[in-house]
Amino acid sequence: MAELLIENLHKRYGPVKAIDDVNIHVADGEFVTLLGPSGCGKSTTLGAIAGLDQPTSGRIRVGTKTYFDGEKGIFLPPEARHCGLVFQSYALWPHMTVYDNVVFPLKLRKVSTADCKRRVEESLALVEMERFQDRYPHQLSGGQQQRVALARTLVYQPEILLLDEPLSNLDAKLRDRARTWLAELRTRLGLTTIYVTHDQVEALALSDRIVVMNGGRISQIGSPQEIYTRPADSFVADFIGTTNFLNGDVVGAPDGDGQTLVSLADGQRVLIKSDKRPSLGDKVTFAYRPEQMRLAAANDRAIGGSIVEADVVSHSYVGGRWQIGLSVGGNQIRIETQEATTDRQLRLWLPVTGGILFTERNHGKSH
Amino acid sequence: MSLDASSALGSSTADALPRPLPGRDTIIQYGMALLTVVLIAAPLLPVLYQSFLDRALYDSGQQLTLGNFGRLLRTEGFALVIWSTFVFATLTTVISQTLGTLAAVLFGRTDMPFARLFGELFLWPIYLSALVLSFGWYTIYGPAGYLTLLVQSIFDGAPWNLYSLPGMAMIAGVSQAPVAYIYCMSSASITDPTLEEAARVTGAGTLRTLWRITLPLLMPAIAYSAVLNFTVGLELLAIPLVFGDPAGITVLTTFLYNNGVASARPDHGLVATAAVLMLAVVCVLVWLQGRLLGNTRRFVTLGGKATRPRPFRLNSLRWPLCIVSAIYITATVVMPIGALLLRAFTSLLSPMVPISEVLTLGNFANMLEYPVYPRSIWNSLIVSSVGGVIATAMVALIAIIVLRSDFRWRGALHYVALFPRAVPGVVAGIGFFYAFALVPGLGGLRNTIWILVAAFTMHFIPVGLGAVAPMLLQMSPDFDRAARTQGADWWTTSRRIVLPLLRPALVACFIILFITFFKEYTTAIFLFAPGSEVIGTTLLQAWTQGEVGLVSALATVQILVIGVCVTAARAFLGVKLYG
Repeated sequence: MAELLIENLHKRYGPVKAIDDVNIHVADGEFVTLLGPSGCGKSTTLGAIAGLDQPTSGRIRVGTKTYFDGEKGIFLPPEARHCGLVFQSYALWPHMTVYDNVVFPLKLRKVSTADCKRRVEESLALVEMERFQDRYPHQLSGGQQQRVALARTLVYQPEILLLDEPLSNLDAKLRDRARTWLAELRTRLGLTTIYVTHDQVEALALSDRIVVMNGGRISQIGSPQEIYTRPADSFVADFIGTTNFLNGDVVGAPDGDGQTLVSLADGQRVLIKSDKRPSLGDKVTFAYRPEQMRLAAANDRAIGGSIVEADVVSHSYVGGRWQIGLSVGGNQIRIETQEATTDRQLRLWLPVTGGILFTERNHGKSH
Repeated sequence: MSLDASSALGSSTADALPRPLPGRDTIIQYGMALLTVVLIAAPLLPVLYQSFLDRALYDSGQQLTLGNFGRLLRTEGFALVIWSTFVFATLTTVISQTLGTLAAVLFGRTDMPFARLFGELFLWPIYLSALVLSFGWYTIYGPAGYLTLLVQSIFDGAPWNLYSLPGMAMIAGVSQAPVAYIYCMSSASITDPTLEEAARVTGAGTLRTLWRITLPLLMPAIAYSAVLNFTVGLELLAIPLVFGDPAGITVLTTFLYNNGVASARPDHGLVATAAVLMLAVVCVLVWLQGRLLGNTRRFVTLGGKATRPRPFRLNSLRWPLCIVSAIYITATVVMPIGALLLRAFTSLLSPMVPISEVLTLGNFANMLEYPVYPRSIWNSLIVSSVGGVIATAMVALIAIIVLRSDFRWRGALHYVALFPRAVPGVVAGIGFFYAFALVPGLGGLRNTIWILVAAFTMHFIPVGLGAVAPMLLQMSPDFDRAARTQGADWWTTSRRIVLPLLRPALVACFIILFITFFKEYTTAIFLFAPGSEVIGTTLLQAWTQGEVGLVSALATVQILVIGVCVTAARAFLGVKLYG
């Protein structure tokens, strides 16, 4: 077990920057998730740590061992790194039994036969697969294969554990169970772990810290709570959780309390509290989680929030509740309610605190 | 569960990191790359060198010259040779593409009775050597052939003449038609059947759908296999040798053979220059194949569903077309091969003499009397089996270096390894002949079958790669990556993971190479010596001596061995032996 240090990591394919100046410091025993959409550079980063992809420049160090240093021309081949990598496809060798798969790394390390047997059994017991030693991979279910793949990685006590979307090939129910099981195992082992996923639920549930990546760059590093409640930009806000975005112009610059008054395209005004300090006339985007908004009754007054008029665009039953699509000042948003509505117009209450204000105006996406 | 991290994983001291031998991967990769380059350059460099020399390359006092090229062009009759070669290759291509495409549509896409059986039989010529097929055609359609005599007794003279460019092209076309058939079939099998159904739904009839939808979709496959067949037409030696030479028709391959091997005082400058010319033309054609194949990917239409296209209904034409197909298959496949087999068990084959009176095992007894014939069969078996194993091992190593390593020159190695596609068998034969004459110390190998193993291996590396590469490309790279991250170097990963997983493809590769080596004759006739004959060379020898019975007996042995291999491979291993 060891800490992992990634400094100024770059990877270029011709003009394309697959990894663009990535810096991550993972403490000993920490569980860090690389989260992002496909093509964001998270898998390339993982490949660079494991030695499967050679970066263009930068440094990667685990413990005292330098894996990669672009300046000094150091690039350790994967076999010299002592990483443990669990593949998305599990990569269990189909021509070997479960036992042969798990014992392979020990044989490479010239571990004595008796020790081999004991350690394979221990490792398989850890993932509750000890009864399946003589099976071939194709005789196992997806979830069982995933456990064997993990046992094969844990058996040689790697310095650092790398998990590449290990749950994505499981069906939804099994994925829930495997996630809980993985969370338990992670607390028990305390291995330094890098987990790659595009699933925000997994990331939020498992990680000590999350690294959100976009277009090869790091958008934000933080604890799950930080990422969810204080996303650094509209991309992170959009990627984590369901988020509704509104665009507007600042008509009242932030007061001493940090409250900014924003005017929507149709002239309706919303008050929002933020530590960002836009100036008068700035174009801004602000966002709310669905659970932060609610419908307001006709006689409701705007206490602790703003009330805006919204046109109903769509409503659909999603099981137990209704999802209502609204148009507010030209912005498309979605809320969930307990009851159906036949109204063409609704009043929407937006809180002063809890919403997120972005001074950049790059979020043109509508929901 | 009471296990915790310390008891489960920290129970023993840290393992020693695996210490693979440093540089072992590099040595193996560079060594294999070097071997491949040497093997492939071995026949090519001497031919190029000789084409610029004023005398034989093993003589003393040679000087570099460009004179050979001018001399070749001024050689009497050379223009006619080029013209005949061109006509022969073009006719062969036209015939094979027409027959192959018709067969693909008729046997693959209609509800004609026995379509599958005909499809199987249609492929047979590709398993046999053109040499054996030529003898088969001779036995049935030659001047004293069974059917020729039969027709002559009814009409006044037979309406065909195999000793002509169209006659030769007919045999070559029939033997190459399976290539067009296979490409059309595999193209049809990946075409989205809804494209045809859409045409039918809009009201197009069977013929219109065929003409406007099915055939245009097959065009890339037809074009690619046409270039392939044209190349084969240029390289073909057997048919021009058996039927062209007696009629005074010379093509480039027989020109090389007559001036290089059969001549008492070979003019090596001229031969090498003609070989270089041929090499250049075929290089261009192979480049064209690559271009066309690159283009076909743009035409390929992949459907999501694996539905079989609905066969076209022939209605009242079902049985007439079936009869036509049956006649074709009988005339071009069953009769030539059958007559050859029958001739092996008779003292002569003629419609005037009842077969029961001439049945004999004499041909085989005769064959066993001369030590050269059993020896050639034995040599063929050794060259095919041992050579097949060596070639398969080499192909496997090249494939994993090219497709499954971070070897610095893997791209270049891939290019080099595929280059023999552009080297005609006659050129490879002449080249190895020169190479073994030129390099001192290799003389000991010169009169053994190992020179044949080297030449066959070089010539058929691309064929082997074609059998291995698809499976290697389909195999997930995660398998090797998993082993690498766990501490295995490239060679250990290859030995323990990649090659064992590749076993089915390697078996297929071996069988394909075994059959290919077993029927190969072109390269061999430039290289064999007393003691290192193979079936192909003794077949030609016996033919030149007019021993038709012996030829039939030897051909029968070849047909039987290949027949057993093909049947066994397809039945037990499910190996696809073409494409």
